[in-house]
Amino acid sequence: MGVVLVSMEGIEKNFPGVHALNQCKFVLRSGEVHALIGENGAGKSTLMKVLTGVYSKDSGHIFYKGNEVEINTPKAAQELGISIIHQELNLMPHLTIAQNIFIGREPRAKGVNFFLNEKEINQKTKELLNKMHLNLDPTTKVSDLTVAKQQIVEIAKALSFNAEVLIMDEPTAALTESEIDELFNIIRQLRSKGTGIVYISHRMDELKKICDTVTVMRDGCYIDTRDMKDVTIDDIIKMMVGRTIYDSSPEVPDETSREVVLEVKNLNRGKSIRNVNFQLKKGEILGFAGLMGAGRTEVARAIFGADPIDSGEFYIHGKKVNIKSPEDAVRFGIGYLSEDRKRYGLALGMDVETNVVLTSFKKFLGFLGFVNSSNTKATAVNYVETLRIKTPGIEQKVKNLSGGNQQKVVIGKWLTRDCDILIFDEPTRGIDVGAKSEIYKLLNDLAQQGKSIIMISSELPEILRMSHRVMVMCEGRITGELSVSEASQERIMSHATKRGA
Amino acid sequence: MELGMNLKKPLLKSDATQKLLAFAGLIFLFVGFSLASPNFFKFDNIVSIILATCVNGVLALGVSFVIITSGIDLSIGTVMTFSAVMSGVFITFMKLPIPIGIIGGILAGAACGIVNGVTITKMKIPPFISTLGMMMITKGLSLVISGTKPIYFNDSPFYRQISVGSILGSMIPGFEIPNAVLIFFAAAIIASILLTKTVLGRYTFALGSNEEATRLSGVNVNFWKTTIYTLCGAYCGLAGILMSSRLNSAQPALGQGYELDAIAAVVIGGTSLSGGEGTIIGTIIGAFIMSVLTNGLRILSVPQEWQTVITGVILILAVYADIVRRKK
Amino acid sequence: MRFNKVLTVLLSMLLVVSLLGGCSSSKPAEAPKTEAPKAEAAKTEAPKAEEKKAAGKMYIPVISKGFQHQFWQAVKMGAEKAAKQYDVEITFEGPESEAQVDKQIEMLEAALAKKPAAICLAALDSKAAIPLLEKAKAANIPVVGFDSGVDSEIPVATASTDNAKAAGYAADKMAELIGGKGEVALVVHDQTSATGVGRRDGFANRIKEKYPDIKIVDIQYGGGDHLKSTDVAKTIMQAHPNLKGIFGSNEGSAIGVLNAVNELKKDGKIVVIGYDAGKQQKDAVKSGKINGSITQDPVGIGFKAVEAAVKAAKGEKIEKNIDTGFKWYDKTNMDGEEFKPLLYD
Repeated sequence: MGVVLVSMEGIEKNFPGVHALNQCKFVLRSGEVHALIGENGAGKSTLMKVLTGVYSKDSGHIFYKGNEVEINTPKAAQELGISIIHQELNLMPHLTIAQNIFIGREPRAKGVNFFLNEKEINQKTKELLNKMHLNLDPTTKVSDLTVAKQQIVEIAKALSFNAEVLIMDEPTAALTESEIDELFNIIRQLRSKGTGIVYISHRMDELKKICDTVTVMRDGCYIDTRDMKDVTIDDIIKMMVGRTIYDSSPEVPDETSREVVLEVKNLNRGKSIRNVNFQLKKGEILGFAGLMGAGRTEVARAIFGADPIDSGEFYIHGKKVNIKSPEDAVRFGIGYLSEDRKRYGLALGMDVETNVVLTSFKKFLGFLGFVNSSNTKATAVNYVETLRIKTPGIEQKVKNLSGGNQQKVVIGKWLTRDCDILIFDEPTRGIDVGAKSEIYKLLNDLAQQGKSIIMISSELPEILRMSHRVMVMCEGRITGELSVSEASQERIMSHATKRGA
Repeated sequence: MELGMNLKKPLLKSDATQKLLAFAGLIFLFVGFSLASPNFFKFDNIVSIILATCVNGVLALGVSFVIITSGIDLSIGTVMTFSAVMSGVFITFMKLPIPIGIIGGILAGAACGIVNGVTITKMKIPPFISTLGMMMITKGLSLVISGTKPIYFNDSPFYRQISVGSILGSMIPGFEIPNAVLIFFAAAIIASILLTKTVLGRYTFALGSNEEATRLSGVNVNFWKTTIYTLCGAYCGLAGILMSSRLNSAQPALGQGYELDAIAAVVIGGTSLSGGEGTIIGTIIGAFIMSVLTNGLRILSVPQEWQTVITGVILILAVYADIVRRKK
Repeated sequence: MRFNKVLTVLLSMLLVVSLLGGCSSSKPAEAPKTEAPKAEAAKTEAPKAEEKKAAGKMYIPVISKGFQHQFWQAVKMGAEKAAKQYDVEITFEGPESEAQVDKQIEMLEAALAKKPAAICLAALDSKAAIPLLEKAKAANIPVVGFDSGVDSEIPVATASTDNAKAAGYAADKMAELIGGKGEVALVVHDQTSATGVGRRDGFANRIKEKYPDIKIVDIQYGGGDHLKSTDVAKTIMQAHPNLKGIFGSNEGSAIGVLNAVNELKKDGKIVVIGYDAGKQQKDAVKSGKINGSITQDPVGIGFKAVEAAVKAAKGEKIEKNIDTGFKWYDKTNMDGEEFKPLLYD
């Protein structure tokens, strides 16, 4: 193993109300692929943002090749040779591939530093893309690329720095299998040249495939660093969670005699939804799997009336209905729990009670249109108990609850509204593992009570564990339907990458 | 191979389409007005139209940069007036040479731009508010400095020649194109080069497309933003010089309302208010559409009330055409 | 202590006024359709006003239609002259542009709140001001209109130029200068105010009545903006190549016409008649580029308005319509002594 490239010691970082990093350490050597893992909120991304100058640390030391350094800006990090590919895409959609890759360090015209040398930008980009065996035109606008191709441009950009340290935060989230292989080839190439690579991912199988070393973090703390070959996946998960989690398979209910609650026929919306057909049965959890940008959220939003559709028909209990707005959808008993519940699902500054009854105020109107507050209180208390929402009381502001409990408040809100079709979009995103299993249990309970559930999730284990049936989408189409007995990670992935079918 | 790639690009989606659309609109207006009135398509009238475009056009050039960064500058009209008043102070009150007065006026505009940039980037005040404040500040300052009276350039007869004189006319008899037009075209060429060939232009687009990504790429976002607002201010200064030399006076009470005309021209030219795209040629076409429209409607003696209504309709149609194009 | 209190009140008032100014555009001006009830205001007000005067120097706010424009500066000069002569205190204010009806109403409100002895007002929109004027009447505060005045029965007097009469005279001059036939056009400063409408119709009607061989081919509006008026006038000249003369209805419009003539090199081919004064217009008249202009007597307007207000506050009888007159000036007569106070810079 190579020399120590980066060494971080005693790193502290506080955000208002959150102790994000607590005495963290991290060592990266040259020529290694180092997995950095932990649950959401464990502090991986924050630690890497400190290393790349996006955040400044409160205290602690960073050594680069043995010398202590202060990294205060992204530029400083780049100049040292530390590059990062962020989890969220950080491209400028209106600019071309070449312009994106060389932003901030454009080749200049000879003599006049203020002028750009566009020819050189394009030529250098072409060389770079060729090196990665990518057949892309440098002058293509990034907005014209697919999400996967955009991801690749990000990687090309990071590589173009000739970085000695390359940090990849969930680089494969939107990639197909062949693209992942391509990426791994590139990573191996870099490793053999002595580049130190930090690899952040939730996909355990990938870690085993590509990583040499693993560092685990939990709740802002450093837990351990081990050689990959010495640990099993189970060991890693144990370290991540701090306990063994009880894993149960769902009870698959008998579906044969169940009535169809919702049927979608020939749904189309531009490029994002293409001829989607499916049925949802009573008491069923229907999993929607696919890669980022496959069109799952778009389908959910179309059913909920949040986006206009080009064509398509909806049948609820066999009756054709017109859903033109969320208002219509709610009237037909459809509830949508969006991916970004903080932005769309909750009034964060208001209390639990208000949030629970917010969409159903009509039910609580009494004499002269006054809100019957004893009724709303009783309802809220009821859901706090049945959904096991951990809160000091119904007067608590929602923003002070944990992610899992916020999610439960949203569920309570739709249950109050008497919804019997619930669409969950990434229901466990940003929720810790303990709370996850509570949400899973809750979904099972709801299904058993006869509610019908569509669950969109990018985490395959979650899909496999929860769903009674799995629909797989790719590029706006439904590319596969699997029963729970047929479904496996491999089969879902192969359907999820059926491009251009 | 590259050729193949280019062919694959859908023709409708290309940037050229919006320009084409706007240009077609301009031609349509030209042909329409020429048919409707024999007095429209005449050398003198065409020159009048171009001259009438100059002030609004130069303002629109400046604010194009700001709008491409997805910002806005509401102070351009009154900064223009402020610059005109300052050049009046330099030339008429302080008796400084005309070139110094011109440079001083442009620098006064640029200084307002710097203040805009700093309030936006350092004080984190949204551009709408920052520049609204600057609009009021420069409006008031113009009145205070001038003592609410116009400042005349009677002692410097050459000043008037900046706008209405004609170097071309003196070289080619009969080809009397006012200097203001040449200055406008020169300003447009400079703007176009700045936007497409330089680092400044690249970052203008990058900022409008994804500011956070630009920051994370190590670009000094605050510096470039301030530079862009400064450039816009300098263009306002130039507009102030053109206007005051044409009127042979700096009129301290004018200016407000000009910003909306300029912004309308930019938008008609296909620049999106949400940033990331836009062209100088588009802006120029947009400015011409506005002035051809007013000129043509006046020539046809359409009542002013209706002229305003029609301009509003055209603005909405232009932006709608752009939205339809994007959807495809 | 007391001084502090007064200061606080003054400061907060200032704040309120400036705030109102800041958000004025969102505040629609009220425009009730009710006609003002007829009344003989002057007589009933007298006793109350006497009392006020005893309390100290008489205070008369003068609210004009603008303050930046030199015309209003000249009016202010006259008003200040009268204030000195009659030993009263005046304030002079007006909105920044003649479109800001709402701002003027706010100024009127603020002025009324100060319980003045009398008010001088040049209303931008008479109808919008009526509710406040009725309030003034109820409080026995006499209102004197000036310039375009106030279109209502409430003002006890109005000191103004008869716009239609003056513009009619301009039409006569135009006819004389172009030889009684041909095409003429008008560049007017706006299509809603009393001065704009009065001058436009005064000119146009006279032509129609007296000069059948003269045709008005176009009337366009430049908002009093010098640059816009220039482009407007140029377009008119392009559209009507046989144009014999243009009338510019105020300073900005006249300068616009002048610029247009210069830029199209039509000096001497087109008769230009202006209105009001200003340095540029005066110079142009002197050099003959503008054939002649109508001038009001802004100093006289200001003086007579304040004078009438003082008299009304004291309960003296005053004339209902105070004609402040107009004068025609051209290069032959403008250096005369009588024009000195009329032709402001």
